[in-house]
Amino acid sequence: MQVQSLVGIVPWTFIAQIANLFIQAYLIKRFLFKPINEILEKRKAMADAQIEDAKKDRTEAAAMKAEYEKDMAEARSKASDILTNAQKTAAAQSEEILQEAAAQAAAMKEKAANDIEQEKRKAVTQIRDEIGGIAMDIAGKVIEREINEEDHRKLIDEFIANVGEAS
Amino acid sequence: MDVNISGAKIFYTFPLEFPVLGKISITETLVVSWIVMILITGLCIFLTRNLKVENISKRQALAEFIVEKANNFVLGNMSEKFRYMIPFVSALFATSVVSNLISLIGLRSPTADLSTEAAWAVVVFIMITKEKIKAGGVGGYLLGFTQPIPVMTPFNILSELATPISMACRHFGNILSGVVISALIYGALAVASSALLGLIPGAVGNVLSQIPILDVGVPAVLGVYFDWFSGCMQAFIFCMLTTMYIQNASEG
Repeated sequence: MQVQSLVGIVPWTFIAQIANLFIQAYLIKRFLFKPINEILEKRKAMADAQIEDAKKDRTEAAAMKAEYEKDMAEARSKASDILTNAQKTAAAQSEEILQEAAAQAAAMKEKAANDIEQEKRKAVTQIRDEIGGIAMDIAGKVIEREINEEDHRKLIDEFIANVGEAS
Repeated sequence: MDVNISGAKIFYTFPLEFPVLGKISITETLVVSWIVMILITGLCIFLTRNLKVENISKRQALAEFIVEKANNFVLGNMSEKFRYMIPFVSALFATSVVSNLISLIGLRSPTADLSTEAAWAVVVFIMITKEKIKAGGVGGYLLGFTQPIPVMTPFNILSELATPISMACRHFGNILSGVVISALIYGALAVASSALLGLIPGAVGNVLSQIPILDVGVPAVLGVYFDWFSGCMQAFIFCMLTTMYIQNASEG
């Protein structure tokens, strides 16, 4: 079998090797770099999308939290308002009730006092009348004679008036 | 004991004669080059099967690692505009490494033929020149030879031509020296073992001295340097120079 020289350039081998090099470059590009770069790009896009999603989720969560906090604060202030109102109302009502009760009690007391006064007066009048009658009877019995009715009455009245003054 | 170191075998020569270029012949260099190309392409196809975005296999991890390394290497030495050079430099590196290492399975390295390295170096030289002309225009490129003084012109042309020649010869010389030294070592060890075993008297010595026992194992140790280290190193140097020369050329 023929051999070529150890050191030397064979023109056709030279040309073929140039072609081989470019074919190899194309093959590597086609079968290694293209699919791998596609995959890397896909992965990058996916990672980007995930980061974007996470960011969106975070802003949403922050918005929700802010809203929740606002709602909570509102609820709290409302609750305290309601409580204050209730306290005020209760205080006012109790005051009213107390006043009413006091007024009622006062009215009852007054009425009772009036009644007592009236009763007293009635009793006094009755007693006065009875005492007058008794006195007249006693006086009639004592004197044993009928004095002038009119003078008699005057006398008794005078006496009773004196009694009333004395009491 | 004869040690015969020759060039690549010529398997078939087409009878057609071309002017200047001569006859087309299918040489060992070409056949092994095609085997190398099939190996590399097959490996690429194997590595990129069933690509997934998530939960990747080890194979895909390796493929992505290679792509990333290639990207880092090229973009580390060249600017972003040479991104399109990544497959070319990768092809150069892969072909060179696999060609250098294919001698481990007994085939003759295509890189032990100067035609191969010359082809690569000329391609790189054309790329360098293209970038120089792009950066400075044809006039600027030609004027560059007269710098710093016109007397230097012949030397500048010489140094310009030295670039591809040195690139080709550096790579070729390293691989060829490996081939030559391997052949010498094999021959020498065969002679040594035959002499050593020939000391055994009688028929046993005659039989054993025919078997080159020392050829088992010892050349493998040397192969670590001449095949593995030198092979990877030269591929790396060739690609490094390619990227750096082209980058420098584009900077004017």
